[in-house]
Amino acid sequence: MSPSSLTRSKLPLSGRIVMFFIRHIQHATASMGELWRTPVSSIMTMAVLGVSLSLPAALQVLVKNVENITHSWSSAAQISLFIDGGRSEQSIQSLIARIKVYPEISDIKYITRAQALAEFQQQSGFGDALSYLDENPLPAVVVVTPSSRYSTPVGARELLAKLEQEPEVSFGRLDIEWLEKLQALVNVLERTVFGLAALLILAVVLVIGNTIRLAIMNRRNEIEVMKLVGATEAFIQRPFLYTGIWYGVIGGTLAWLIINLLVWFLSGAVTTFIGLYGSNMQLQSLSFSELLQMVCAASFLGWLGSYLSVRQHLRAIEPS
Amino acid sequence: MIRFEQVSKIYPGGQKALTEVNFHLQRGEMAFLTGHSGAGKSTLLKLITVIERASAGKVYINGHDIAHIKRQHVPYLRRQIGMIFQSHHLLMDRSVFDNVALPLVIEGFSLGEIRKRVAGALDMVGLYGKERHYPIMLSGGEQQRVGIARAIVNKPALLLADEPTGNLDPKLSMDILRLFETFNDAGTSVLIATHDLGLIARMKYRTLTLRQGRMIGGEADIVESLSD
Repeated sequence: MSPSSLTRSKLPLSGRIVMFFIRHIQHATASMGELWRTPVSSIMTMAVLGVSLSLPAALQVLVKNVENITHSWSSAAQISLFIDGGRSEQSIQSLIARIKVYPEISDIKYITRAQALAEFQQQSGFGDALSYLDENPLPAVVVVTPSSRYSTPVGARELLAKLEQEPEVSFGRLDIEWLEKLQALVNVLERTVFGLAALLILAVVLVIGNTIRLAIMNRRNEIEVMKLVGATEAFIQRPFLYTGIWYGVIGGTLAWLIINLLVWFLSGAVTTFIGLYGSNMQLQSLSFSELLQMVCAASFLGWLGSYLSVRQHLRAIEPS
Repeated sequence: MIRFEQVSKIYPGGQKALTEVNFHLQRGEMAFLTGHSGAGKSTLLKLITVIERASAGKVYINGHDIAHIKRQHVPYLRRQIGMIFQSHHLLMDRSVFDNVALPLVIEGFSLGEIRKRVAGALDMVGLYGKERHYPIMLSGGEQQRVGIARAIVNKPALLLADEPTGNLDPKLSMDILRLFETFNDAGTSVLIATHDLGLIARMKYRTLTLRQGRMIGGEADIVESLSD
């Protein structure tokens, strides 16, 4: 044996590479088996992770649905152009013909003074009062629906300014203030979700870190013996890292299931509620690809938690 | 195989365990390390396996100075050394097979190779057929032999034993020593720490004696070995 062989393995390189992968698979399955052997504590930990992860996921679902709703509302934003009282029917028709070719506009609806009056009488409940008036006080209205690119608050405002330049238009009205408020609210909601998600993710990392710490303490004797017979730290820590990953995978799947159950539980009530507002929107849940994302993210968190724990605690265990 | 040059070890707290120890264990040699409890036998073995590091002087294993060996190289060094402990350090919740196979699993041998080598090692220590037993089901002597099988299964160049016969009766102790002799015949260097002087007297091997942390026996051998 030459001096340089002190730090060299006794196996050839090809054999080492093959065994590297075999060891990984063995460690992965072995750590799964380890969890299986202590079902109660494993299930408890996984349940904690599932619930912790389901909260950010639920908030994500909420944001997704709110965005969906506000998106459909904002695209329905309309501009009402009130026509100058003295304009003739002909000049109004020519206005419509002119603005019809604007690329910013997708649809135009013309409401004559008579139609406006009829609609007002029907909907306002002041129908009788109106009959005392000598003439129709309402102006003619051209309702413009902007194309999707101009349906954002900023775009619609721009379009409104342009349309107000038309001589026939007395003034225009774009009721987007509530839309802006809603969007600001959605922003607040999103921020809140991110903040809470960050906290809960931290909790997940800590829970896994602590669980792995206990696992390391339980196997202290074994770790000492392994170090004595020449196990590298990478070798000793691998089963713990896989345990963390398994916790993440199962916790993530559990969270996905919880969310789907929750959405299923809520969907009936929500559909009725939305239906009252004349919409037939469906409550969205998490898709299969989002399940994969969640499981990937959760397993990364599991790995991270156990890695931090292993780094700190494995080094401290030395044979004596 | 092992060479100590002016090695001292002072534990944190100021306790002097070893003072300027010199000795050389030749490749393929078998020797005893004796001394009273607290004379520094265990410390000397710990320095060889880098469980502790020398405060001063140089420790060579295979010509390598291991006083300053990097932390990540320590496992590879330990794979070259078979260690046997008085409190055999077996994993009680694993079968005899799993215990003996541990160094091979760590090294990355295939399962077929592991089976072959574990069977061979258990055969050598006279425990063939007890693979599936758990250590708790075995006698003290058998447990010690499981530890020995684990130490030799990886065919190390050096075998260290710390009081391997500490808990055994004279007949069993002799059996264990005979076992070490067979490994030594096969070319393995062996260093056995023991305070069982009666046992040593019956064998023909060199004896290194420690007293209060100083090496007082086998001086001639040391001079001889340092000059080569």
